[in-house]
Amino acid sequence: MPASRSTRIALYVYGVLVIFFLYLPLVSVAFASVSRARYLSFPIKRYSTKWYGEALESSTVSDLLTTSLSVAVLVTVISVVIAFFGALAFARYQWRYRTTFQKLILLPIFFPQTVLGLALLMWFNSLGVIPSWKTAVVAHLVWIAPIATLIVAIRAYSFDPALEEAARDMGAGTWTILREITLPLLMPGLVSAGLFAFLLSWGNFPLSLFTTGADSTLPEWLYAKMVSGYSPLVPTLGVMSVVGSFLLILTALAVAWLIRANREARAAQN
Amino acid sequence: MSGQALLRLEGIVKKFGDFTALDGIDLDINEGEFFTIVGPSGSGKSTLIRLLVGMDDVTSGEIRLNGARIDQTPANLRPTCMVFQSLALFPHMSVGQNIEFPLKLRKEDPAARRTRALELLDLLRLPRDYYDKRISQCSGGERQRVALARALAFDPEILFFDEPLSALDYRLRKTLEKELKDLHARTGKTFVYITHSLEEAMVMSDRIAIMKDGRFEQIAVADEIYGQPVSRFVAEFMGEVNLFALDTGTDGTLSSDILSIREGARLSAVTPGASGLLMVRPEYVRFAETGESYDFTLSGKLHGEYALGSRIQYELETPAGMVTVEKLREDRLSAREGDDIAIGFNADVTHFIGDTP
Repeated sequence: MPASRSTRIALYVYGVLVIFFLYLPLVSVAFASVSRARYLSFPIKRYSTKWYGEALESSTVSDLLTTSLSVAVLVTVISVVIAFFGALAFARYQWRYRTTFQKLILLPIFFPQTVLGLALLMWFNSLGVIPSWKTAVVAHLVWIAPIATLIVAIRAYSFDPALEEAARDMGAGTWTILREITLPLLMPGLVSAGLFAFLLSWGNFPLSLFTTGADSTLPEWLYAKMVSGYSPLVPTLGVMSVVGSFLLILTALAVAWLIRANREARAAQN
Repeated sequence: MSGQALLRLEGIVKKFGDFTALDGIDLDINEGEFFTIVGPSGSGKSTLIRLLVGMDDVTSGEIRLNGARIDQTPANLRPTCMVFQSLALFPHMSVGQNIEFPLKLRKEDPAARRTRALELLDLLRLPRDYYDKRISQCSGGERQRVALARALAFDPEILFFDEPLSALDYRLRKTLEKELKDLHARTGKTFVYITHSLEEAMVMSDRIAIMKDGRFEQIAVADEIYGQPVSRFVAEFMGEVNLFALDTGTDGTLSSDILSIREGARLSAVTPGASGLLMVRPEYVRFAETGESYDFTLSGKLHGEYALGSRIQYELETPAGMVTVEKLREDRLSAREGDDIAIGFNADVTHFIGDTP
């Protein structure tokens, strides 16, 4: 169906807005990161990759990356596990408090993250837990695990409950059904939930700000440096962070593509 | 009774809260039989089959397979298997992996599994190279065959079917009905089939059970259910039918407010003094030419004419309401809507359904 004139105009406007407010700012950060100057100024007089070299050598940077990565990886793994069982409870099984569960699980998403962060910090204090990157993992999970659960639940809704019944009818026990039927069918949902969990944790600022204590994640450090003492490492690390996220998504897409290609190659034999 | 029934149900009751879905079901199914349970939606047939395969628990009553109680045995330990309405083929597995699934669960070795899967593809007339196809690459009819192959790979004592043909188009359904009947003959397995379609039941089954409100109304061979229904419900469920109120006197004489009855006409096998309904199927009703004489006659106006393929259906407006008559196309009536028409039929093509006291 050819788009009408007004639809075309709307699409153009949309495209221009996306470029103007999303990509151009990112590109300007990228330019800033390759400026040789100590302070941010346009137009850039001399280009250099000096700050990337410094970033890679800096122990501060490697500490930041280690902290951010540890938090994000732990959050990803734990949320995927929670999301798997949570989604089954959300979408597949009839139980008494199911509708209550479905509503409650959405609550953390509606809380402003700053409020949630503050609440958790006070809670950790009253429990006598000293905040560190580990408490940040808990804080991230409170916000991210429900999102991951919803992503997997959408997938769980879309598959026929008769598949599990059929497997049982043919002699499969509960664990066999989980391993042979439920897990493979939910796999695409689990992969996207994992990706989301990682990216949301990797980029999270408000929850980390309140709950990391003496430790610091990458977004926290970027903010701190902007407030007090700009360093050219700020745009450099910003770009590295974005590139890292892109690489992760590309890897995931490549893996998904390889699995499909492999499957089709097997199907094409004979 | 000759021998022991393969499957025996005794007093099966299933309640969901206050609602009684199955209200005391007794049934014997024999080895090698093609048994069909027919009923409208909500009659309890799906509930019954779920109990039989073990996906739900009975509230009370016993299910026996070869004499041994199985009603407390979980589904995965029962030697029966079901073909689901949705077929429930595993979308993440190939055709071959689907068929081999029950064998894999029994830890049979891969080579033996493959051999068996290929045999089953042959049995169901699917090309052997379908072994590596994805389910999404198969057509509706092919999926049906894969689901059957998978169920047969399980090698069940009884194969249950939960309306697996209901989602297919008419022509394919007709083909598969015949194939299923043929497969039953070739495998010698016991098939228990549920459907809401009378046609499906009539084409395939050895015996048919008609279900209504959680009970069996009638269990009999197809011809008997069609020709000698025990109730108005069965008569109307099994296709087009004409029913006329009729009383019999203590001396066997017949009387009706609507039908003209020939002097001396009698119904055999009717208790004198009974009142009830006289049933005649549309294909047994004759258009009465002048001079012809029938046990029962009635006249009315032609209301409509409908082509049903090989047959033509006529509707007549009579004092008894609409009467349906069916003729072969070659015996087509040359009359117009609104014409007065007389119809007649003899006692030997009718069936009397007595009022239940």
